[in-house]
Amino acid sequence: METAELQEKIFAFCQAAKGKKKLKEKDIIKGVSAEQNVPPDDVKKAMRAMIDVGRLMYSYGGGASSVEIPSEEYLREKGLIK
Amino acid sequence: MKKYNTPLIDQLEKGPWPSFVTEMKKAGKNNEMANDAVGHLEKCYTTKMGYWKHGGIVGVLGYGGGIIGRYSELGEEFPGVAHFHTVRLNQPSGFFYTSKALREICDIWDKYGSGLTNMHGSTGDIVLLGTKTDALETIFAEYSSRGWDLGGSGSDLRTPSCCVGPGRCEWSNYDTLDLVYNLTQEFQDELHRPMFSYKFKIKAAGCACDCVASIARSDFSIIGTWKGDILIDQKEVQNYAKKGMNIMSEIVGMCPTQCMSYDGKELKIDNAECSRCMHCISKMTKALRPSGERGATICMGSKAPIVVGSLLSWVIIPFIKLESPYTELKELIRKIWDWWDDNAKPRERIGEVIEMKGMRSFLEAIGVPPMPQQIKEPRKDPFMFYTEADITAYKAKEAEEKKTGKYRF
Repeated sequence: METAELQEKIFAFCQAAKGKKKLKEKDIIKGVSAEQNVPPDDVKKAMRAMIDVGRLMYSYGGGASSVEIPSEEYLREKGLIK
Repeated sequence: MKKYNTPLIDQLEKGPWPSFVTEMKKAGKNNEMANDAVGHLEKCYTTKMGYWKHGGIVGVLGYGGGIIGRYSELGEEFPGVAHFHTVRLNQPSGFFYTSKALREICDIWDKYGSGLTNMHGSTGDIVLLGTKTDALETIFAEYSSRGWDLGGSGSDLRTPSCCVGPGRCEWSNYDTLDLVYNLTQEFQDELHRPMFSYKFKIKAAGCACDCVASIARSDFSIIGTWKGDILIDQKEVQNYAKKGMNIMSEIVGMCPTQCMSYDGKELKIDNAECSRCMHCISKMTKALRPSGERGATICMGSKAPIVVGSLLSWVIIPFIKLESPYTELKELIRKIWDWWDDNAKPRERIGEVIEMKGMRSFLEAIGVPPMPQQIKEPRKDPFMFYTEADITAYKAKEAEEKKTGKYRF
């Protein structure tokens, strides 16, 4: 699977969990890897590339970290949107 | 700048000790954020309420750790602390700095933050207290361009830390400074990208004196030890006695395994019974010293009480040689993380998971055989069970021995 396509699948996976479950990195890696039948390392690399450009972001709450789709406020703060 | 009346926190400036209030007030003379932090603290003391909110989405792009979001509910009354985020900087191994490096840290922090610091946090990082969200990327760029990096926070590998080791201490059984530097470089991903169920701390102490308190404060404690006997200089033992040391009560009587004896002339140690606790050596530095092969004991699982009560670390590997590039240790850590990740619920530290799942399944998963040194409390650690395969093999062996006449009870 092409990286861009895989990233869309990862994004959809995070979107489906939004408001229901705080996803750890490993939840995404395991979930998308099983769902799309791609090696976990490929998912990991694709996901981290998304985090590096602000398409996904790390969040923290209640003592644990998670990966989420960023809010507009976050994207604005990082200068990624105006 | 607004002047706050602070009768309650002024009390904390009285007495012979240095006071953080005095330091905050000093910083507050030149910095609005620090000044508002003083007023905010007085308000907390007056109302007996904490107004801090913690967490959220603050951070620098690509990193999941290193910045801890803090906000005050009283942002309108104290605008300087409306955002008051903490920045954690990865400290150098053993906390060795040049004064130039310290000035560099403080100059940048004075420019973009409150100027208040905490040297160091309990994980070991340089803790920079109080900055605003819009300054974070600039702060990170300024520090990283000078060779500094953020430390860990959240569900990641927290910044590994160590004692001063061979840099200043003759008792270090391995190079703690090199090991921690090496582990920090190796596990950059785990340090900056939170991927675990909860935090994971590594602390390295050169000997059992454990100056970094790794036994109580880290999930993975690396504590220096040795294999040989304790060498005794009897002449120096006599010198200690002459100078007034009560060797029976201060040394022999304090030995946790009671492996020492003293008849007024000669000190004897039953080295086979010695647990290498360092008590006698640290008391009689001129008379006693370790010998033989050096390395470390790996203990695991200590933590402060959050989900369940506090735990002390538990011996997993009684002795491991620690030499660069530390391949065996790194592989062990990765295996441990894999098992933890497969078994932990959110916010469960590894010590809690070991207690819940059992030491046996943990040891099997990381490929470490059960050893007597792993027994935490005699007759209370039932993790050395026989599997079905073991029993079948044993019965077959017994039948064979009975047939050949070699069987013994």
